[in-house]
Amino acid sequence: MTATDSISPFTLEIIKNGLIVASEEMFYSWGRTAKSPVIYEVLDYAVGLINGDGDKLITQAPGIPGFTGVLDFAASEVVDMWGEDVREGDIFISNVPYISGTHLNDVTLVMPIFINKNRFCFAVAKGHWSEVGGMHFGSWTSDSTEIYQEGIQFPCVKLYDGGKPNRSIVEMIRYNSRLPDFVLGDMYAQVASMKIAERRVNRLVDKYGQVAVLEAMNKILEDGERYAKLKLQQLPKGVFEAEDWIDDDGISDDPIPVKVRVEISDEEFLVDFTGSGRQTAGSINSALPSTVSGVRETYMAMIDPHTHPNGGFFTPLKIIAPEGTVFNPQRPAPTSTFWEGMSHAADVVWKALAEVSPEKLSAGHFLSIEATILGGIDDRNGEPFAIVEPQPGGWGAGFDMDGESALVACGDGETYIASSEVYERRTPIIVEQYSLNTDDGTGHGTHRGGFGVRRDYRLLCESASFTVSAGRSKFPPWGVEGGYKGTPNYAIVYRKNEAPSRVLKVAALKLGKGDMVSLITGGGGGWGDPIKREPERVLQDVLNEYITPKTAGEIYGVVIDYEKKIVDSMATQSLRDEKLKKRQ
Amino acid sequence: MTNNLDWINNSFLHQKLQRPYNSAPNCNIYNLLVCKLTVKIKNEVSYIIYDLTYRVGIDIGGAFTDLVAYDSASSEFKWIKVESTPRELSEGVLNCFRKSSITPEVTDQIIHGQTVVINTIIERKGVKVGLLTTRGHRDVLEIQRANRRDMYNFKYQKPSSIVPRNLRIEIDERVTADGAVLKEINTRQVEEALQKLMDEEVSAISVSFINSYVNPDNERKVGQIINRSQTVPTVLSHQVTREWREYERFSTAALNAYVLPILDRYLSRLQENLVKASSTCMAMASDGGMFSFDYARKYPIYTIESGPVAGVIGANGIAQAIGDKDFIALDGGSTTTKASLVENNDPEITTEYYVERDEFNPGFPVMIPVIRTVEIGNGGTSIAWIDEVGRVNVGPKAAGADPGPACYGRGGTLPTLTDAYVVTGMLNPDYLLGGDLPIQKELSIKAIEEIAKKLDLNVMEAAEGIIKLANENAAYAIDLVSVQRGYDPRDFTLIAYGGSGPMFAPFISNELEIQKIVIPVVPPGVFSAWGMLNTDVRHSSIHTYITRLDGPEAGKTLNNIYSNLEEEINNTFTSEGEHLPDLVERFADIRYYGQEHTVDVSVPLGNISANEIQTIIDNFHKAHEREYEFKLPNDPVEIVNYRVVGIKKYQKIHLAEKTKQTDQKNPIKNERKVYINGSSESIPIFDRDLIATGASIDGPAILEDPTATIIVLNGQEASVDRFGNIVIRSVKI
Repeated sequence: MTATDSISPFTLEIIKNGLIVASEEMFYSWGRTAKSPVIYEVLDYAVGLINGDGDKLITQAPGIPGFTGVLDFAASEVVDMWGEDVREGDIFISNVPYISGTHLNDVTLVMPIFINKNRFCFAVAKGHWSEVGGMHFGSWTSDSTEIYQEGIQFPCVKLYDGGKPNRSIVEMIRYNSRLPDFVLGDMYAQVASMKIAERRVNRLVDKYGQVAVLEAMNKILEDGERYAKLKLQQLPKGVFEAEDWIDDDGISDDPIPVKVRVEISDEEFLVDFTGSGRQTAGSINSALPSTVSGVRETYMAMIDPHTHPNGGFFTPLKIIAPEGTVFNPQRPAPTSTFWEGMSHAADVVWKALAEVSPEKLSAGHFLSIEATILGGIDDRNGEPFAIVEPQPGGWGAGFDMDGESALVACGDGETYIASSEVYERRTPIIVEQYSLNTDDGTGHGTHRGGFGVRRDYRLLCESASFTVSAGRSKFPPWGVEGGYKGTPNYAIVYRKNEAPSRVLKVAALKLGKGDMVSLITGGGGGWGDPIKREPERVLQDVLNEYITPKTAGEIYGVVIDYEKKIVDSMATQSLRDEKLKKRQ
Repeated sequence: MTNNLDWINNSFLHQKLQRPYNSAPNCNIYNLLVCKLTVKIKNEVSYIIYDLTYRVGIDIGGAFTDLVAYDSASSEFKWIKVESTPRELSEGVLNCFRKSSITPEVTDQIIHGQTVVINTIIERKGVKVGLLTTRGHRDVLEIQRANRRDMYNFKYQKPSSIVPRNLRIEIDERVTADGAVLKEINTRQVEEALQKLMDEEVSAISVSFINSYVNPDNERKVGQIINRSQTVPTVLSHQVTREWREYERFSTAALNAYVLPILDRYLSRLQENLVKASSTCMAMASDGGMFSFDYARKYPIYTIESGPVAGVIGANGIAQAIGDKDFIALDGGSTTTKASLVENNDPEITTEYYVERDEFNPGFPVMIPVIRTVEIGNGGTSIAWIDEVGRVNVGPKAAGADPGPACYGRGGTLPTLTDAYVVTGMLNPDYLLGGDLPIQKELSIKAIEEIAKKLDLNVMEAAEGIIKLANENAAYAIDLVSVQRGYDPRDFTLIAYGGSGPMFAPFISNELEIQKIVIPVVPPGVFSAWGMLNTDVRHSSIHTYITRLDGPEAGKTLNNIYSNLEEEINNTFTSEGEHLPDLVERFADIRYYGQEHTVDVSVPLGNISANEIQTIIDNFHKAHEREYEFKLPNDPVEIVNYRVVGIKKYQKIHLAEKTKQTDQKNPIKNERKVYINGSSESIPIFDRDLIATGASIDGPAILEDPTATIIVLNGQEASVDRFGNIVIRSVKI
């Protein structure tokens, strides 16, 4: 009788749940004990368990979808580099983007878990460290042109050796960070969380035995793969292609082409980025692990957004990203704003498949997180303040629904946009407006895109500096089946005695008292011809002031009786007929 | 979540109660003898306690209405459970009286918890609400916090605002974060906006302005303008909460307006029908306190979790009686399991509450004081199923009361946890509700066989597997409230109630190494209603005002704010026709400057000077280290929220000590084959009521009473304490 025969499916299920809880507990532990808001508020971290070979994700708990593909790379790197020298009590530290990372701020710790002197699995925790040195405070920046400007690199070295912290490395960190107390505090919380996972795994082994736990791990991978393949069979088969453009790299104005060929068969989900642009001088490059994360987001959305993903689940997914391209840059390419490239990897695959998988995918969304920094010295108390935030924007329409308004972009998940009242209390600004951006419209269609936002910050102190990076501005979100394109992301700077200026990417712009910045995000793409939109919905959109009466007539061909607040059906029909006739 | 059916046997009752009541006058009213105990109150201070003779707790849920009556003169305690009457819920309450020997005329006080508020929100059956808000902030309720809780779903939609955009009107007004009025109200503009809303025939109005938590003057002025010309109910956001964060506050105010006319109508009907002049009607609140019906009419949203929290208050009553300070309350319901961790007999109150929130849905924030509880989708009627790749699951889908588990023979064919209990012999098919409810064991077997075949197991193995998986799910609820928040469950007593709570508890305790389980003497099916009789009148006030404790004016600010809040609380008590509170407590949510997360710290009463501030700071460092495992002793510290709670003590139900039984009957009813841990064995079955106080029973054993089944496992020992609670401990073998 083999092990599989003797272990009840219920027991396996219980052990599997135990392994999932181990990841969750790691996640809560780090979040609860970290010192930096980027961990416990922004949830810019992910944790998980990897199999003993270091190549397959068993369970994970990510705070944001952007970390869906990066944990297994880090464990593989440890096995490849250290082989037999991976010992009980070791913890490895890495952040080099080209091999296992994203950008240098995201630091991964990998701890092997041993049972009876044998390597059983790995605990991995990766998260954003507030400060790892480099040319600017906070380390990540949009004006770096090589990785050496972006901070200290940890090339998968031993942070703990045989259970003891490696003092040499700890001191290197202390001397290379502008916020050593916070970074080291977060690091020890990160280590503690992995030890919790180790205890959980040990308890499972004590209770159910090593054979059963190992069997459960294999079962997770097998079930994951079976499940993915089963779902894969329900997807449309064939070759699907899409092309798009990244606005620019922040250094020059040249757009960067992105291109994908997706081939879906019963066994495989192949994503090939061949033909995409070369790696750029600016820091928008998405290293291979980031590219994999981006693609995995869309793959999850396609296969099953509610499953617990694991290595088996991702087995059918194959990714080709030629070296030296924006999706697989090589040293010394900068990667500090990698999310710009990564989100396009997710988006172009999405674009290739939206039309054939309408029940899973919407039209294009605002995509760029429009990362914003507004900071300076608060005159009231002489202390520094800073707002660092993503902006929410409009999502695309579906074949059966209007797009959602004001949501964070696809790389962000359970990410909360801060409250205006909290900002006004903590910083010398007043939020004059935070509402839906209906002025720019949205991607019109049978179903229309959701609306972006407009957020106006007026400065109440003598001076501050403003940085923003708005992508998807020159190439707005795509529509589907005749749905209109969405609208662009941008910002407007209002300075005293100057005409308002529209900006996309600016770094450290000086602002004075009374100046204002407007952060504006776009609407999502539409789905289907707007002339086919139910007139009643157009009426509601007008009454709710989402669209103007003019738009209702010109784009949707709907005539409204404003006295009675009803659709004039006859007039609408003839206007629509006329519009259709003109098109021929 | 939608109802309070707190036990798996609900559906049996459902069936039973369809029979005419007069044919079985005694089977749904159990009289328990109780006698008085000395009252023990925090800090040993004595208070004047209202000694009302006859009090009634009523818990109305989606399917059942429970009533518990306590007569302190005769020391008699009665209960009844009847079907709810969804069309006119107050009818169910009246039925409780009609069908029992309890008459509303003799009651001195009625304490009432309901699900009217939460169901109105979940079913989107509230009234049409209009919103007047600050210029530039019209879309707060629609933007929400912009998070994507269902993060891999590329067609994710957040809950739509309960106030549509055309009913959200901007007003020119502005208050700054330090409370200065930047722009005054323009009366004519408000009147025009109001007219627009009245033309749209709104039934309630919410006025929600930015920074009104600091200075509510503009909200008040608009409230006065509305009241001058209209009778439409108006909710000003600062009245429901004075905490910062506009989306959360606006949402709470809008939801309060949304349900206000509905609860008002419901309470009025109820009151008209049943109350004699001298009795008082009290509404159970989500913070475990109670207040008058009139107060509930103004702030219906405060009662949103009134049923479930009463269970925690009841568990606290049990814990206090037996002298246990730290416990975890486990409420095993029909479709879900809830858990709440209580330290020092002081249930934790939070204002981070969301209605309809789950793994993929952010729900709506409701920023009111609620006892912290977690809920998972695993209960007595949870369905066991196999997914497309052969993985077994239990829940979150449940058979509920209709059609119910397969063994009810009412059309349910899917295997549920209850069926698994019947198949293994853990549940006695002949003794549910005292044997009145027939169970068709063969239907359970048939349902479980289906799943067993697919898994290539025999029917017993499959049934036991389902039970184990369900236990594991229930243990997860405990995990969430303890381990994941830095507590060790082994330091806590587990108090289990609800129909499935006592069945989960012994297994969970083994898993989590919990040393002591208590199954209360009170029938699990009416435990929440019983809990309501253990509560006090409670009003609290919370106010966000950021105050650095190292500032020169800190003492002055603290004294000012606390005395204002105390005055506010006193006024609330007075205007409610109550005497002033017996007990006032001060708290503050404090954090390190620059950090976001706060820690709740107790603050001394009376004048606060430098010494007291130092004490507050020291207590904060300690509390922060316990909660987050680090402290920053050199960093400045600031208060975010000031909180004051006023409590007017009411008499509790006194758990009575059982008198020594003189004619000892044999408590063992018989033996039964039960499949447990991979084999069938004969296990003695005890009649719970006949087990003598102080006696101890070694597991494996099953203790039955008409409403609950308690399993004692091998390696565990059960005893009956002096109150009649069952206490289960693990013993070293």
